[in-house]
Amino acid sequence: RGQRGRPPRSYKAPSAESSPALEDPTPDYMNLLGMVFSMCGLMLKLKWCAWIAVYCSFISFANSRSSEDTKQMMSSFMLSISAVVMSYLQNPQPMSPPW
Amino acid sequence: MKSLCIFLAVLFIPWSFALAKYDEFEDGDDIMEYDDNDFAEFEDVSEDAITESPQRIITTEDDEEEATVELEGQDENQEDFDDADAQEGDTESEPYDDEEFEGYEEKPDTSPSKNKDPITIVNVPAHLQNSWESYYMEILMVTGLLAYIMNYIIGKNKNNRLAQAWFNTHRELLESNFALVGDDGTNKEATSTGKLNQENEHIYNLWCSGRVCCEGMLIQLKFLKRQDLLNVLARMMRPACDQVQIKVTMNDEDMDTYVFALGTRKALVRLQKEMQDLSEFCSDKPKSGAKYGLPDSLAILSEMGEVTEGMMDAKMVHFLTHYADKIESVQFSDQFSGPKLMQEEGQLTKLPETKKTLLFTFNVPGSGNTSPKDMESLLPLMSMVIYSIDKAKKFRLNREGKQKADKNRARVEENFLKLTHVQRQEAAQSRREEKKRAEKERIMNEEDPEKQRRLEEAALRREQKKLEKKQMKMKQIKVKAM
Repeated sequence: RGQRGRPPRSYKAPSAESSPALEDPTPDYMNLLGMVFSMCGLMLKLKWCAWIAVYCSFISFANSRSSEDTKQMMSSFMLSISAVVMSYLQNPQPMSPPW
Repeated sequence: MKSLCIFLAVLFIPWSFALAKYDEFEDGDDIMEYDDNDFAEFEDVSEDAITESPQRIITTEDDEEEATVELEGQDENQEDFDDADAQEGDTESEPYDDEEFEGYEEKPDTSPSKNKDPITIVNVPAHLQNSWESYYMEILMVTGLLAYIMNYIIGKNKNNRLAQAWFNTHRELLESNFALVGDDGTNKEATSTGKLNQENEHIYNLWCSGRVCCEGMLIQLKFLKRQDLLNVLARMMRPACDQVQIKVTMNDEDMDTYVFALGTRKALVRLQKEMQDLSEFCSDKPKSGAKYGLPDSLAILSEMGEVTEGMMDAKMVHFLTHYADKIESVQFSDQFSGPKLMQEEGQLTKLPETKKTLLFTFNVPGSGNTSPKDMESLLPLMSMVIYSIDKAKKFRLNREGKQKADKNRARVEENFLKLTHVQRQEAAQSRREEKKRAEKERIMNEEDPEKQRRLEEAALRREQKKLEKKQMKMKQIKVKAM
């Protein structure tokens, strides 16, 4: 039936401001949470904080949009890895469970 | 590849540091040996002290000559020792007093008794042991991370396969209806890429354009977040399904003015609350579709009965009845502006922009455990979409319907203006005050007194005129009221 009338319009991505409810805030929250936990792990020398930070940065990466800046993602990831490494350098003993 | 590199880095960095730690311990042993050698000389001193006694005898005999006997291998320390002994030798020339040496016998006696004490091996607490077993929490963590990465790869691939299956099935129908299939917006001109545009690991877009009646059609494949392990676990508690959302933007002249929605009752209730146009134009509760031959599960929200009558023709009813389980919601609206925006007071001065839109949301069968075959079963729904586009173009309201529709739209606009009346008044007031202030400043800044006086008089006259006007208006209103 292909009725082609006027010329086709090119694609314009819907702007994020027009659809805030549809935007998924998960990657941004996880990124921030990851950074907070990394800093806690580094400053307070808490191993479990550092491990949670690694998990947060992984979750943020999995949920991220392709348009998002990879530099931000990589920096959060590197920060969490460094938090884990520094905690173990300062205190090589294994982590004790909270129970 | 990215995830592999990350995984390797995670393993290697702590491993290398752990090895470095062990090296330190090995070196420690060597250091001890060197320490022993440092004190080796002093060890010989104790042996020399024992051998000293026969030498003492020699030195006492030669005391008068004060000759120091030099033995091989002795250094300065030994000589000092000898001198000390030489001095003591005078007092010891007397026969040995047994009482003096009583304590000395005990010493050799106590040292062997010490050797007889058993050596007790203290149990080193677990966290000080250097064995892999004590690091079980860390091993757990790394295993969790590995599981997450595995799930990411598997989930990503599954979503990709489903998207490709959908596209391969629908490609022919789309290409026969649209000139442009697949454009990611990166080029200035509209170019048909013929591919899905991947926005996310779980969202795929496809833009089709170049057909009569509609500006374009945006198809969004909204899959479940299979790549996120947390989401997968959450879905075990609360099942959800993949969705296909199709948004057709109609040309202004190709659609009449009406608002109409159809779908599952739950979806309609939610949309009525969320969507700007549905909440304003369709104030009634969703009605059951059974009246029009639809299954009970589907309900209808409409601006007026005429629209529903017009929309529910035989073919549409056929589509809806056969694929009712896959339909989440269908919305035809000329006042579509998306969901209600959360606005702060004082900022809302204009109605949001509206576009004539047909919006379809379909559920993919399988409720999570979707297979490529399920994606293929959505093809008839795409035919329904194409049919709806043509139907929306053909359907026109009669005179009464048009009047009603225009009245509705005017009413909504009036309500909106009333709401914002206060804000607009305040805005106008502030603008007027700004003007006055600017004028006063100008008058103040005038250096010429004559000019100043003239400007002031002009401003006074203007104000008087305004007051007079207001009074006239009030009089007129009073007269009218009477």
